[in-house]
Amino acid sequence: MSSGRIAQHRNYVELMERHERDIRLRRIVKTFIYFLIIAALLIIFVIVRRWEEKKVDGKPEAAVVISEKSSSSRTLELNTIWRSRPINL
Amino acid sequence: MSEAEIQYEYSILERSRKDPKAFGELYEKYFDRIFNYVYRQTDDEDLTADLCSQTFLIVLKNLDRYEFRGLPFSAWLYKIAGNEVNKHYRKEKKSKVFSIEELRVRELIEQASESWDEEIIQRLLNYLRDLPTDMLEVLELRFFEDKDFKEIAFILDISESGAKMRTYRALDRLRKNFNLKIKYDGKE
Repeated sequence: MSSGRIAQHRNYVELMERHERDIRLRRIVKTFIYFLIIAALLIIFVIVRRWEEKKVDGKPEAAVVISEKSSSSRTLELNTIWRSRPINL
Repeated sequence: MSEAEIQYEYSILERSRKDPKAFGELYEKYFDRIFNYVYRQTDDEDLTADLCSQTFLIVLKNLDRYEFRGLPFSAWLYKIAGNEVNKHYRKEKKSKVFSIEELRVRELIEQASESWDEEIIQRLLNYLRDLPTDMLEVLELRFFEDKDFKEIAFILDISESGAKMRTYRALDRLRKNFNLKIKYDGKE
């Protein structure tokens, strides 16, 4: 192929414009991905926090039974399985 | 290519990392050669222009990753060009085309000391047409692009001994087919 015909395809200005467009696009994509990662982490954080709050608050009402175990002390036992510590009166 | 030229090209690449516009010198130097190299493997001018652009874009994009490995920058450029051509054929699920310009073959023959008649030249062209693609690739890089075996091995991702073997096999067949004495690398 003749150099004249090849020269028609040579265009360094266009190449540089394409290269700069590619760089801009890559920057936008990178920023968007960072944004998605941060958003995903925030969502996970919020979900975990809500789950933990439910775990602490969302218990059924305890039925309180007062029983005398000995004459010197009374132990308030709660017939729930979530509280492991008996409350001493 | 001399050491000084290789170092000079490397200095241009270093400058291009900070300012891509500095790459223009290498673009102007190699565009025609890469265009012809790709054109010989596609035989399609518009496709060649696209693949050529793509090659130089990839080079610009990966300038930071380029490492000097004792080979000229052009070896890396040819490797990327070859990969882009192969990618194109894989995507299109077509067989590779090899278009050897008759004019270039005649130019090479004229450089030889033998005076060949038209009939032998035509036989040679037919012989080249029948050569397997892997041999043609090596012959093209060796005789049309003037690459040494180390560069050919890097460009085609084969061993240096593999590149030599393909070349010598092709030349051996040429010698037998045409009953020629071929001087190659100082030996006949």
